[in-house]
Amino acid sequence: MIMTDILNSVIEFNKTAVVDHVTAAIKKGIPIDDILNKGLIAAMDVVGEKFTSGEIFVPEMLQAAKTMQLGLEVLKPHLAGDALMEKGTVIIGTVKGDLHDIGKNLVTMMVEGAGFNVIDLGVDVDVEKFVSEAQVHNADVVCLSALLTTTMPIMAKTVEAFKEAGLKAKIIIGGAPVTQAYAQQIGADGFSDNAPGAVELIRKLTAT
Amino acid sequence: MNAKERMEAAINLMPVDKVPNAPFTEAPVCNYYGSTFKAALLEGPEMLKAHMKSLEEFQFDWVMLGMGLIGGIIPEALDCQVKYPEDVFPIIEKTSIFSMADVERIAKNNVFTKRMDNFLEGVTLLKKELKGEVPIACEYISPFTIATRLRGTNEIMMDMYDDPKLVHALQEAIVPLDIALGKALIDAGVDYIFYGADMECPVLLSPKHYKEFVHEPTKKVCNELSSLGAKVLPHMCGDIVKTGIVDLLLEMDIHGIMPGNITQEKVLDIRDLKEKVKDRICIFDNINPNGPLLIGNPEEVAKETLAHLNRAKEMTGYIFSTSGTSSPFTPKENYLAMDREVINFQWN
Repeated sequence: MIMTDILNSVIEFNKTAVVDHVTAAIKKGIPIDDILNKGLIAAMDVVGEKFTSGEIFVPEMLQAAKTMQLGLEVLKPHLAGDALMEKGTVIIGTVKGDLHDIGKNLVTMMVEGAGFNVIDLGVDVDVEKFVSEAQVHNADVVCLSALLTTTMPIMAKTVEAFKEAGLKAKIIIGGAPVTQAYAQQIGADGFSDNAPGAVELIRKLTAT
Repeated sequence: MNAKERMEAAINLMPVDKVPNAPFTEAPVCNYYGSTFKAALLEGPEMLKAHMKSLEEFQFDWVMLGMGLIGGIIPEALDCQVKYPEDVFPIIEKTSIFSMADVERIAKNNVFTKRMDNFLEGVTLLKKELKGEVPIACEYISPFTIATRLRGTNEIMMDMYDDPKLVHALQEAIVPLDIALGKALIDAGVDYIFYGADMECPVLLSPKHYKEFVHEPTKKVCNELSSLGAKVLPHMCGDIVKTGIVDLLLEMDIHGIMPGNITQEKVLDIRDLKEKVKDRICIFDNINPNGPLLIGNPEEVAKETLAHLNRAKEMTGYIFSTSGTSSPFTPKENYLAMDREVINFQWN
């Protein structure tokens, strides 16, 4: 019952309720991993499905993600070791010359919501920064975002730089002007035109 | 028919001699013909030079301006910190609205800045040179989309639940400024106000939120600019037919609609939209500017262009375009391939 309450509080973006229910679940002795995976992460999967099917839109996604984060904050002190890093590390940023962040932020929240360790480099990120941060954090996946057609070529340069540096991280791209064909053309490992799709793609690319 | 007559005929759902050819040309034009991209986007004499050269080579049926206006000049006039790189569109580095006090402050701003004057000079120069034979279209944005520029997109989308008063107040403050700027554009010679609804399209916002937050302020601006003599042409991405947004757009004094892509891989079928709007307003059909046009070859571009034209053959009130801004990096041979197909298409 309490897991359903956690799930519903995220889906209905009830911020007070999520904190109360997660706190209650911890007190009740429900395994922390269950609260995370069957409560908070499962809720964000439902939110992603609703977004993909056109049942909810960006404001609702943002609210749900914010609610999930509040639940996660309650849970974090109880998470054993690197529980959040077990699924993999994802680096994300909007490429150089582009300061648009809504798509990037949605993906960040959804990917965090799916239990990955996400390092958000922000906007206007140059190629060298993507490479160095991927090395430092031993990233599994790097997500490049662009809204402007003028900044799309930076994605190609970033893919090239990763190849030259011999990095094994998978690179995926997204953003309003980006297409699957463009991803193939520049040699990226994947493309998604929405945040839930990005989560699925990352899950596939990191599946062992 | 000259370009103006052809476009006017299509907008008024009258017969045309050939397909009106009106893609979103500004960025490629600035790149192909500007001394720099930035100069051709923002500086009067450079704007004139670049667009006149493009008309010679491409024979477009309009001149399309405004990316510098909506992406830089307007946000900067409303206190955003804007960077103007030489080779790409302006970039908003810092937003300007953090509280209701900021809303009250920007409402008093003088929006006729030096950059705005330079832009208006470009419109005036073009108007004179074009001698009324080629219409001038200018991209423009709704109070809601301006609000997202000033406040930040994530922030305004969160505000819709957390602080709806701020969303309403900000747009109320923007409406008179939006009208004043639009009027100045029309006075300088803009014929068509191309009304981009970047951030309120049904890909991002629910129809419920569109009605609650966006519709009334947008309607006020569109109706006012229409009453001043401009043709108002909204552009919106997503499935505007299924979501019913098209019905709300039709409540405004508009003269045409340009649907956008549902996604970059999928485009709204123009015939569905025609069925909906019938012969009330014209339709700007459009090919994906980030598909073959940007990354394909001329043969692929010609094929996609022809597919659109054949689907719409003999449709009344039909204008060919691209779905929003074309990339400045669009290969010129691809743009020429699209242009050639449109110009040579046997419409009747």
